[in-house]
Amino acid sequence: MWRSVWFQRWLNRRLPPANAVILNQSNIFILPTRQGVYFLALIFFMVLAAINYQNSLIFALAFLLLSLFMVSILHTFGNLSGLTVQAGTARAAFAGEDASFSVRLSRQGERHHEAIVLGWDPERLIGADLIEDEAALTRLFVQSKRRGRLNPGRLLIQTHYPVGLFRAWSWIDLDMAAVIYPRPVYATELPTGVGVNQDGELLQRNGVDDFYGFRDYQPGDSLRHVAWKSFARTGDLLVKEFAASVDRQVWLDWELFPNLDRESRLSRLCYWVVTLGKSDDEYGLRLPGLEIEPGKGPEHQEYLLRELALFELQPQAQAGKT
Amino acid sequence: MTGFQIPRNSLVWMLAAQIAVIVPHVPRLPVWVTLICVGCGLWRVMVYQGRWSYPGRWTKVVFVIAGLVGIGVGYQGRVYGLEPAVALLVVAFVLKLLEMQHKRDAYIVILLGYFVAITEFLFFQSIPYALYTLFAVVLITAALIGLNQTQSHRRPLKTFKLATTLLVQSIPMMLVLFVLFPRISPLWTVPLESQAAKSGVTDRMSPGDIASLSLSPELAFKASFNGPVPGPSQLYWRGLVLENYDGKTWTRRTNLTDGIWRDSQTMPVWAKHIERLGDTQSYSIILEPTRQNWLFSLAAADLSANADIAMLGDYTLAYVHRRGVTTKFKYAVTSDLEYRLETDLSDEVRQRTTNLPSGSNPRARELANLLYAAATSDADYVNRVLIYYADEEFVYTLAPPVLGDNDIDEFLFDSQRGFCEHYAGSFVFMMRTAGIPARIVLGYQGGEYNALANYIAVHQFDAHSWAEVWYEGRGWVRVDPTRMVSPERIQRGLESAVADENTFLANSPLSWLKYRQLLWLQDLRQQLDAIGHYWDNWVVGYNPRTQLEFLSTYFENINASRLGLLMLTTFFVLLGIVALFVLRTRNTRLLTAVDQQYLRFCQLLAKQGLVRQTGEGPWSYNERVSQTRPDLAPVVTRVTREYTRMNYDLGAPNNSKALKKAVSAFRIKALTANV
Repeated sequence: MWRSVWFQRWLNRRLPPANAVILNQSNIFILPTRQGVYFLALIFFMVLAAINYQNSLIFALAFLLLSLFMVSILHTFGNLSGLTVQAGTARAAFAGEDASFSVRLSRQGERHHEAIVLGWDPERLIGADLIEDEAALTRLFVQSKRRGRLNPGRLLIQTHYPVGLFRAWSWIDLDMAAVIYPRPVYATELPTGVGVNQDGELLQRNGVDDFYGFRDYQPGDSLRHVAWKSFARTGDLLVKEFAASVDRQVWLDWELFPNLDRESRLSRLCYWVVTLGKSDDEYGLRLPGLEIEPGKGPEHQEYLLRELALFELQPQAQAGKT
Repeated sequence: MTGFQIPRNSLVWMLAAQIAVIVPHVPRLPVWVTLICVGCGLWRVMVYQGRWSYPGRWTKVVFVIAGLVGIGVGYQGRVYGLEPAVALLVVAFVLKLLEMQHKRDAYIVILLGYFVAITEFLFFQSIPYALYTLFAVVLITAALIGLNQTQSHRRPLKTFKLATTLLVQSIPMMLVLFVLFPRISPLWTVPLESQAAKSGVTDRMSPGDIASLSLSPELAFKASFNGPVPGPSQLYWRGLVLENYDGKTWTRRTNLTDGIWRDSQTMPVWAKHIERLGDTQSYSIILEPTRQNWLFSLAAADLSANADIAMLGDYTLAYVHRRGVTTKFKYAVTSDLEYRLETDLSDEVRQRTTNLPSGSNPRARELANLLYAAATSDADYVNRVLIYYADEEFVYTLAPPVLGDNDIDEFLFDSQRGFCEHYAGSFVFMMRTAGIPARIVLGYQGGEYNALANYIAVHQFDAHSWAEVWYEGRGWVRVDPTRMVSPERIQRGLESAVADENTFLANSPLSWLKYRQLLWLQDLRQQLDAIGHYWDNWVVGYNPRTQLEFLSTYFENINASRLGLLMLTTFFVLLGIVALFVLRTRNTRLLTAVDQQYLRFCQLLAKQGLVRQTGEGPWSYNERVSQTRPDLAPVVTRVTREYTRMNYDLGAPNNSKALKKAVSAFRIKALTANV
């Protein structure tokens, strides 16, 4: 396979990870496309016709097209060369969802860049033009598989412009990573007697008997609780909430799910972090070797999710883009 | 049905290119095929506008069958020629338009477009056609570019401009390849043969044949002499020799291909019977396509070092390839205008050139016998016959009356009106009656000299026939009886010879040649002809031989590997120059427009005495300026905000215009503040 280990190593040496890369002759590859090969075949047939009919003007036109083929190398290369590709922000996502990365393209000088295509996933390439604007921000999505730090790998940036006979491309490592939270898994209820507030009162949340209200669907919610009638009417996914009482402080403890493996526990804890993040409750997290005091607010929630995402993972990034 | 929508920019140019490419073919296409082209184009437009969908499978089958039947019927079943092949290509090209489901299909349409464009050169190769085809190629290239632009690109003119730029940049390299790419002889004979009418003189002659040819203003060939051009009475362009006579029609000998002399072979016996006595003329001829095998030369021609040419037993030159001259053909000839041909006449030729079918034209025979009896020698007899033409009231006319069975009798004694074939035919008849070997020569006489490019243009109306008479000890001698009747025809051409009867180019009212008396028009035409001549010589006529000739004037010891090396070197040097040109803007401006604007702002502030310190960030600079000059604070802050927003906020629309506005606002404020 062409993206073999050897090739990866060579790429890493040649195009080391960097936050911003200026594309130039040292990192652009260029080869004829299939259409380019057909075009050469066309020229070959034209030359044959010219020879057999001893027709100078057919020679001339065949040579003009051959020169066009060669000149198009310069234009296709020039369309990529001089572009600065800069890493933007990486937005976190839950495992299984698309993580989004923003990449900024900017040009130097007057030269226009058209029909630039980029992306990590060959099936989901995004196009960009730099004609009037000097920079463009593109948002690219990469499907995540599991929690941790998602390094999407090498970004493919390519162009066929202007004539499609050549493809110029580069594989650049922008050294970006998105935090991937565990996949939230709905836990029917918090096992009783564990989530204890300061007053020592037992939590009885998510009872099934007491309809509490609607809220927006969030990943991990059970489909059984989706208000389908309302969805059919409005198109908004709402979830029926059943709750008994609201407490002020909750401890999300690793030991709440004693019979589950590590990932399943993290998924359930993640669900609760998301759920509690929408309430007024304060919540804290206890993991082996880690205790986070209860708190609330988006930053607190993100902190917890991040800890869940990176719990017991090697510090190095998750390899590969899938 | 499909997810692929061809970009608008591409479709616009694709349809334009298609029209441009097909239009010149229309005169050769059956009407059906043209209608299919129009139909497919309209259908494709409707598809683009969303009114119609792509045709279904059966509709397409109907189109294909209609196209094939159209070609079959239109060319009356002769489907193996060049025109039907091109028509087939055109049909495939337009039908593919209706099948553009994928980007790949669009590429096929474009590649077919390039191919249809070159087929035009199989039929015409003049400068206007070349320019037109170049224009069509620009259109096709624009379609190709449009295909690779994003859907949002909606400026077709810009696409066209880019296509032009690309092709203009390609032209220098094209010229290098054109001049230096080793030209080789055809790899195989092309089976396709154009069904275009054969043109020029034919290989048989009966009364009226040449007169009808003389109505045509078409160019037959051009001849360029290396030295001074011989006078018009010397310019008898020998093409064919007609020796057989059946009482009505003159034809060539039947065993023409026996013992022909080709350059590579040893000289046959008959070829040794050319005595060259001087007045050597070297010239080259560019023959227009005739689709015939005969070539024209002045007597007595030598066999030139050209593998395409052979000499026949009647001392005419012939093109050796079976399909005849299908494109302009350039060849060089050396002729000795003083010569003796075949002084040792073989019995076979003597028998053939004295043969007459018995019985016909008794009055002509009687006259011949009378004149021969009075003559002292063969030469004297020839003179007496010529004097007969001069003395009688013969009229040289392009509109001779139709003659009956004894056509020579009727011509000589009754109508006495005729064209060159009447004079030559009756003359040879009378020679043979007296037992003197004589034959008809067909070709052209005279031509129009173009002083600008130093060539003689010979047109179809210069077609002529004359006689050759064999004398003991002198061989074949040219005798032109037409000269006795109309010396103007020989000295000044057909136009003055028939000036009184208004028959010159009577069927071609728009021919330039008809208006030769208008001097400025004459000059313009000669200039255009001169340009066309150089084009024919150096572009259209650039073949393996001319390439060798041309290159050996600049390089000694030229060979294939040196040529290849030279070609590649110049090609890539030129490509390098184009590269510098294409990629030149890369490092000329290291600063972005945003940075440039900010620097200008800093310079303006420096003039106010507020120089930005090294290492001072935009916001701290802003704070210092605002404190020193509170009046400028709002405009300065606006610039700083725009600048930092554009430089550091990745999501900001990166367009330097807002910053430029802010800087301008600051500038006005600063200027007014100072006043």
